[in-house]
Amino acid sequence: MTSVCFYYQVHQPPRLSKFTVFSENIPYFDEEKNRKILQRVATKCYLPTNKILSDLIDDLGKQFRIAFSLTGTFVEQCRKYSPEVLQSFKRLADTGNVEFLGETYYHSLAGLFSMEEFGEQVELHRSLMKDLTGQKPKVFRNAEAMYSNDIARSIEHLGFTGIVAEGHEKILGWRSPNYLYRPEGCEKIVALLRNYRLSDDIGFRFSERRWAGYPLTADKYAEWLSASEGDCVNIFIDYETFGEHQWEDTGIFDFLEALPYEILKYENLDFRTPSEIISSYKPVGVIDVPDIVSWADIQRDASAWLGNDMQKYAFRRMAQLEELAKRNRDLLNVWRLLQTSDHFYYICTKWFADGDVHKYFNPYDSPYDAFINYMNVLQDLQGRLERSEAEVSAEPLLKEGVLLA
Amino acid sequence: MFGWEFPPAKTGGLGTHCYELVRNLGSKGVGVLLFVPKRSENVKNNLENVEIVEVGFDLSNPYARPDSAASEKSYGWNFFDEVETFNKECVATALDKDFDIIHCHDWMTIPAGIELKKKTGSPLIFTVHSTEYDRTISIHPCTNIINTEKKGIDEADRIITVSRNMKTQLLERYNAIEGKISVIYNGIDDSRFPGITEKSNRQLVLFLGRLTSQKGPSFFLQTAEKVLRKEPDVLFVIGGQGEKLPDLIREATDLGIMDRVLFTGYLREEELVRAYEMADVYVMPSVAEPFGISALEAIASGTPTIISKNAGVAERIRNCFKVDYWDTLEIANKIISVLRYDVLRDCMRRNALEELKDLGWCRVAEETIEVYGRAL
Repeated sequence: MTSVCFYYQVHQPPRLSKFTVFSENIPYFDEEKNRKILQRVATKCYLPTNKILSDLIDDLGKQFRIAFSLTGTFVEQCRKYSPEVLQSFKRLADTGNVEFLGETYYHSLAGLFSMEEFGEQVELHRSLMKDLTGQKPKVFRNAEAMYSNDIARSIEHLGFTGIVAEGHEKILGWRSPNYLYRPEGCEKIVALLRNYRLSDDIGFRFSERRWAGYPLTADKYAEWLSASEGDCVNIFIDYETFGEHQWEDTGIFDFLEALPYEILKYENLDFRTPSEIISSYKPVGVIDVPDIVSWADIQRDASAWLGNDMQKYAFRRMAQLEELAKRNRDLLNVWRLLQTSDHFYYICTKWFADGDVHKYFNPYDSPYDAFINYMNVLQDLQGRLERSEAEVSAEPLLKEGVLLA
Repeated sequence: MFGWEFPPAKTGGLGTHCYELVRNLGSKGVGVLLFVPKRSENVKNNLENVEIVEVGFDLSNPYARPDSAASEKSYGWNFFDEVETFNKECVATALDKDFDIIHCHDWMTIPAGIELKKKTGSPLIFTVHSTEYDRTISIHPCTNIINTEKKGIDEADRIITVSRNMKTQLLERYNAIEGKISVIYNGIDDSRFPGITEKSNRQLVLFLGRLTSQKGPSFFLQTAEKVLRKEPDVLFVIGGQGEKLPDLIREATDLGIMDRVLFTGYLREEELVRAYEMADVYVMPSVAEPFGISALEAIASGTPTIISKNAGVAERIRNCFKVDYWDTLEIANKIISVLRYDVLRDCMRRNALEELKDLGWCRVAEETIEVYGRAL
């Protein structure tokens, strides 16, 4: 038996306002833009896709199973601008067929600068998911599938049973992604490896006319799954693939609707969630990943976020504010919202090679504009943090002064 | 080929273009006979396969308008007479020569081209570097000149523009036939410029160009005032000369920033290169800019550039800032950021320099030869 595991990543970043060196007292985040985009994607993707999945569960019952992770920034935006989207995710959670995975609350790269901050964000997200879905996530997926031995160990300490990683040759060598593996130095958790070929067939290539597999039909795809060896095929994709990256007119919704029926025609295939896979199969080997591997680009590293000097500089400047921010209850959340990986992604200069994707999702004219805007906001936040620090430390003196008088 | 400027006499992109074009055509084995107006300084010609014929006597500069109220009269009727004489003499001399193609640059040379085409039947190529609308930013454009341009565009067998933007202008304003137009972007000989060098952080912002409304020097000053509010030690250098100089000095004084603005006057080639190199940022806030070779020169000198969105060069270069020339607050925002963050400056100038690799003049010559081929 080969288990098919569908896991969808759902995320929206907090987009920044236009912020110049002259800006004063204007909000850091462009709420109007965030609202517009969220509501657009809700109409084009979240609501119709949730409806399809919900109908499939109604019709197929227990045999159809899927998993999601919802970032905290996405949930916050939904609360403000589209509560019906959250309702529909809750209804999916109530069916019992859907597993919700752990994330960093802010879809951040916190794991790359502070394990303490990373842990706090994972906990924040865990309690958010508990509130929203009634489930305490047991399997973790880091933002952008950033994975390393250190991150795996830290996730083990936080009490998870599994972690998601990119099933790339950089991690696996000649080995297949269709099995569970044990992260190096870990005893309790196992890693699920994303089958990037079959995942990208849907995520990237679905409407690509020059691709040999075009047009991708549900029966064809089910046949490929059935022909796959191994215990599990992990199809992990952005949820926005449905209706947003792949528009409705590509036939992506028809594909999604038909696929479970085609898969269940094969006796050697079934559906399982990540946790069910972990309890059904045993790891077949160890993966040893000293350096970060992500799911992005040809390089599968962190270079889309921290590749050039502007990105590294902005990231370092942000990270340096950790102590200050943690002493400031009012601004801590703002600082964390500036950690969302998208801010660094917009500063990526790799367009020319494999970056068409980067350009498509970039709201700025250029990575240089993205850098300036981010730095202006960060600079302003730093000023506010420092000023409020100065006020706090001045307070006891004032009190003392009063006492003396 | 009929040109208007040739080194050492040079006031703009046309001169650079002609020089580099004939040099590269020559080295590719294309024989060029170039007619240019005689100037006070004699042209130096050591180019292979290129013969230069200097015609007439020491003409005025087509871009130098005697007073700032650019009306038809300000050219002086004398100027039009001179242009006419130049064209007539060109035709008379050229008729004794042997050639296959007639190639004109801008309106000053097109009458000769049209006349010669009539007499010989050879195909006429017309390169448009700028139009009268560009030079006057559509304020009192000279109808005489527009008519000449229009006639050239109608009579030419093939038209070359230095940007897509210019092509669109010719279609919209001159009713040009789209199929006749080829876009050939200007190039850069980056061996003449130093590339990436250590910046000593002088806090120096550079403007270079003719001091005319077209180049937007006044927007540069307004930007300077805004930058100085935040960064009072920055120095603004305005290189070049032109009719607007007195106005600009007055404006800088009124803005209260005269002590942070330096007017250099005309810069010789080596001074120019040094200015590009010394600058921390190069700003080109042109109101109209068919191409804008100077942006490429700044990039070739390892200097980050902020250019007007509508400049032709903006179609070709990605690693620079593209701005609305009137949005001086945004230009100031960008200047301050480049001055503050070395990483921004270095990423931008490295990536931009990389882009120049496919922008040599050799390519311009090759593409021009292709256009010749289609005309024959």
